[in-house]
Amino acid sequence: MLSMRNIQKVYRTDLIETHALHDFSIDVKTGEFVAIMGRSGSGKTTFLNVAGLLDTFDSGTYHLDGEDVSRLSDAQMSRIRNRKIGFVFQSFNLIPDLDVFDNIDVPLRYRRLPAKERKERVEQAAGTVGLSARLHHLPSQLSGGQQQRVAVARVLAGDPRLILADEPTGNLDTMMSREVMDLLERINGGGTTIVMVTHAPECAARASRRIHLLDGGLVDLDAPAPGRLPERDVAALSATLA
Amino acid sequence: MFLHNLRIAWKSLRRNALLTALIISGIALGIGTSTTFAAVRHAFARHPIPEKSDVLHYVRLDSWDPLKPYPGDDPTRPPTQLTYRDAVGVMQSRIPARQSAMFKTNQYVYPDPKVGRPFRETIRMCFADFFPMFDIPFRYGSGWDRKADLGPEPVVVLSTTMNDKLFGGVNSVGKTVRIAGRDFRVVGVLADWNPNVKFYDLTQNAIGTPEEIFLPFHFVQPMQLRTAGNSDGWGTSGGLSGFEGLLQSETCWIQMWVELPNRPAVDQYRDFLAAYVLDQKKHGRFPRPLNNRLSTVKEWMDDQNVVPKQANTMLIVSLLFLAVCAVNLVGLLLGKFLARAPEISVRRALGASRADIFLQHIVECEVIGVIGGVLGLLLSLAGLAGLNAWLKATATRSDFFQLDGPMVLLAVGLSLAAGLAAGLYPAWRTCRIAPAIHLKVQ
Repeated sequence: MLSMRNIQKVYRTDLIETHALHDFSIDVKTGEFVAIMGRSGSGKTTFLNVAGLLDTFDSGTYHLDGEDVSRLSDAQMSRIRNRKIGFVFQSFNLIPDLDVFDNIDVPLRYRRLPAKERKERVEQAAGTVGLSARLHHLPSQLSGGQQQRVAVARVLAGDPRLILADEPTGNLDTMMSREVMDLLERINGGGTTIVMVTHAPECAARASRRIHLLDGGLVDLDAPAPGRLPERDVAALSATLA
Repeated sequence: MFLHNLRIAWKSLRRNALLTALIISGIALGIGTSTTFAAVRHAFARHPIPEKSDVLHYVRLDSWDPLKPYPGDDPTRPPTQLTYRDAVGVMQSRIPARQSAMFKTNQYVYPDPKVGRPFRETIRMCFADFFPMFDIPFRYGSGWDRKADLGPEPVVVLSTTMNDKLFGGVNSVGKTVRIAGRDFRVVGVLADWNPNVKFYDLTQNAIGTPEEIFLPFHFVQPMQLRTAGNSDGWGTSGGLSGFEGLLQSETCWIQMWVELPNRPAVDQYRDFLAAYVLDQKKHGRFPRPLNNRLSTVKEWMDDQNVVPKQANTMLIVSLLFLAVCAVNLVGLLLGKFLARAPEISVRRALGASRADIFLQHIVECEVIGVIGGVLGLLLSLAGLAGLNAWLKATATRSDFFQLDGPMVLLAVGLSLAAGLAAGLYPAWRTCRIAPAIHLKVQ
């Protein structure tokens, strides 16, 4: 699904060069649920931005869903983001002026789908995340967990091949986090590939594979797990990353 | 997508009402000013009779002094009017489909004593063709016929206002009006006719209203009528004095219009005028080189500088003012749009291309432009009402400056252009926002 080879990403200022991704390579198979972990500044978000075609890279190759996306135009990248990738952000990133319906509808509009189909998709996605009754609420009228569910519904409506989640539970309490992780697990169960950046070991534990980033490189790669990490190992993992 | 962008624009404008009001006010002020001055210029420059643009021609002959050119900034220009002799002479031509020599005079009108006291009124002396040639509409009756020109028969055409004044607005055809001690039979009453420019006589007050009374030209001799307009003369009158001397003199005081339906007729009439002048030269007149002019209405208006230079200058200044308003708004819009970077980044992440974002913001700028344009039009209406009120006191008409269809279209076009000019750079900058930076921190 996602294959990066020798990716270099350097942020430059007049005085300093920062190697955000250094000779970075990774393969994520279709249907995998991968957790990316690492300390702040380790390159997790840069990786996610590059993977989501939100940022460019300096060298290396990147294949997404079998297509070389290393050197695409803005319009081509936008099209791929719109059709193949769904984003879930830590701070939900809903548009405050738009109600739930319109927020879920945003990516579908950029896909130029007919109104009837958009309506069906929005209502179905809202139903999946349990927000059918709140379609005309503004984000400010929803709790944090509900807002994140709207963000997940926005992804679901677009039916992407890959979901990139950047600390999706970072702003949520334990119960809400569990709800959102349940949702992501269900989506992954349907065959959608998920790559999730997280600091939370209990969230990482629910992924099928965990990757540890350090200073822009891949330093720790779990073997693909046949199942989820046993509960007893979560504490040990937390201790490792602390 | 366009409607969606309109909705987004509307929400965005409501988000910060004060800033929105400031931006829209800037556009409105610019549009109001530029539309007002465009309408002022348009009022002067608008063709008063476009349907006859190519067929009506004003006639000039150079009968002026051989020793010095006709006064004015162009020494090659012939006098603006004809002498009486020449007006009568060229009226003999059978080439024009219609033609009329004309001038205005001031005479006393004697209404029924029960209606009012005698009053002095400006009267246009003209030929029968004057009315059909200028497509003048009638409420009652019609103009007189060509036979009445020859007599001349004592017939008169009144304006609606004069008919209201003398006869209370009833159909007065057949009734009698006493003018300068003679009785004239009413044959027609004009419907409302008030061309923006008094094109048929530009020698005085081009924006004046038409006369209220029209009489056959040939009463000039029996009534010994003199012009109430401009007259320019040189030389002697061949030993004659008094009114007969005026008619035989080189004094220019008659306007002459002809209707020439096609190009051959124009050429033929030019030849006729040349032949007429060459014939007059044989009698010792027209000492200057042959210099006849046939001008269309527009050419004649340009020649007489109907559009004041100040109107052109003010229009240019007001357009520059609009440009300054638009440039000032660039900064405000840039700030407004860039403050929305997190939302733009989300849209980009969800699949919006740079073109989508650019279009979204251009639509918002155009919405601002249109709202500003509507308010600007209202400002312009108020400005023109003020100018008309001033004009009523100075030129006795209150409808000269108008916002007609072309001016409204111009205002809409200027609004869209101003919105685009103000929004182009901010929209471009906004669509170049790197989404990755803002997604994490929103």
